[in-house]
Amino acid sequence: MDGKRILMIDDDPDFVDAVKMVLEKADYTVEAAYSPQDGYRALESKGYDLVILDCMMGRGAEGIIVARKLRKKKELGNLPVLMITGIRDQTGFFFVSDPKDETFLPVDGFLEKPVEPGVLLKEVGKLLHSRKTDESKKGE
Amino acid sequence: MSDEYAVLIIDDEEVVRDSCTRILAKNKCRIQTAPDGDTGLKMVEEFKPDLIFLDLKMPGISGMEVLERLQQIDATIVTVVITGYATIDTAVEAMKRGAYDFLPKPFGADELRLITKRGIEKRRLLLDAIALRREKEIIRENFTSIVSHELKSPLFAVQQTLYAFLAGVAGELRPEQKEMLERIRGRIDAMLKLINTWVEMTSVDFRQLKERFKPVDIPALLSKAREMLNAQAAGKNVQLVTHCPLAVKPVKGDEETLLEVFLNIIGNAIKYSDADSCVSITIEDRNHALRVSVADTGVGIEKEDLPFIFDDFYRGKAQSQTGELGSGLGLAISNRIIQAHDGSITVESERGKGSTFTVILPRGQ
Repeated sequence: MDGKRILMIDDDPDFVDAVKMVLEKADYTVEAAYSPQDGYRALESKGYDLVILDCMMGRGAEGIIVARKLRKKKELGNLPVLMITGIRDQTGFFFVSDPKDETFLPVDGFLEKPVEPGVLLKEVGKLLHSRKTDESKKGE
Repeated sequence: MSDEYAVLIIDDEEVVRDSCTRILAKNKCRIQTAPDGDTGLKMVEEFKPDLIFLDLKMPGISGMEVLERLQQIDATIVTVVITGYATIDTAVEAMKRGAYDFLPKPFGADELRLITKRGIEKRRLLLDAIALRREKEIIRENFTSIVSHELKSPLFAVQQTLYAFLAGVAGELRPEQKEMLERIRGRIDAMLKLINTWVEMTSVDFRQLKERFKPVDIPALLSKAREMLNAQAAGKNVQLVTHCPLAVKPVKGDEETLLEVFLNIIGNAIKYSDADSCVSITIEDRNHALRVSVADTGVGIEKEDLPFIFDDFYRGKAQSQTGELGSGLGLAISNRIIQAHDGSITVESERGKGSTFTVILPRGQ
């Protein structure tokens, strides 16, 4: 996967490690930020190809706020964001019926915890590919 | 509410307003007065009175009307009506409309002080009760979401680690190792599901569902449910048969939760069916209501269990015998969802012969 760089923002180190293992096995480079603040900092300094974000960091729906902030940061360009979440956690089945509602939750992909490794790799591959296509279009 | 309190006096007689103000001025009390109902009502929002003395007989809008509007503005404001023609009837009428007490004219200083003291006490009790109720609500909601988050986060981490193991990222596993890990995974899956169900049960206010009602195509919803349950049915070789009239008008409801109900009922029917049997789903369109019944020929329900199967956490005897595990909440949640639709859910069953669950969804007007 030509060493694509992925940043994971999630406050659970064990969960991060489990996902990281799968991604690294598939030759991605994965770095982790365990708080939104660390996440923003990492994004400022280094170039990433994808962000994987946990929706319910802490007890609020902090991930949703992070997703909205990332979308507003122009300098990130069209950095794809994949949200992995246990959203049913706090909202029961009264979550907006379409979690991919762009205005509510501006992310490019959405997976529910726990994630099957196959499903994860497929989604990550898809998002990285779509970014590549976007960029090549820009170059034309 | 602090020690200080606010009293509004609405009376067309200046002398009443003045004397009341004078009598009460010695207390920790802010006082304002209004000569008629309209003015008084306008002052309520800004002045936020705890107690209102209201003359019933005034020019302009009547005291009774003021009373009614006050109820709509803030029912916790305590109102005492002042009445010059102190017949029991008017007093009773005023109290029916929300007045706390009445004060017949003419009244003395002591009477006014006493009734003010009692009125303010009443107001404090009302506010305390509301604050207490709200606090209880918040504790309940927070408790549920905290417990849910704290229980699920570690389970997600465990589960994700198992997934990584099973995917072979820590080296290839021997078949027996893989099987053991699969078992752990199965148990954790069940636990996560259980937590979800409990959270739904305790934190979701099903009455809010009404705000999301839309026309729902029930036959389409049932096919969706069937599709989702196909694998489970195929596993026991249970046939799912639907009887449905050609055209069924939609009912108003919430698709997502209704799907949950049918998944639960049909899922149960499959679960408690014998292998190689049949579950039949029948839709009957009656103008005022839609009737969906789900019948199986399985183990049935014990007569003594029947009255309780819609209760929270109730699990019938059959469950332990068939080795099926449940949260004891599926039917309870279904029942609440159907009630939120103003419908009903009933059961007929005989031990050893099977059960028929019937959901009736009214069409409203």
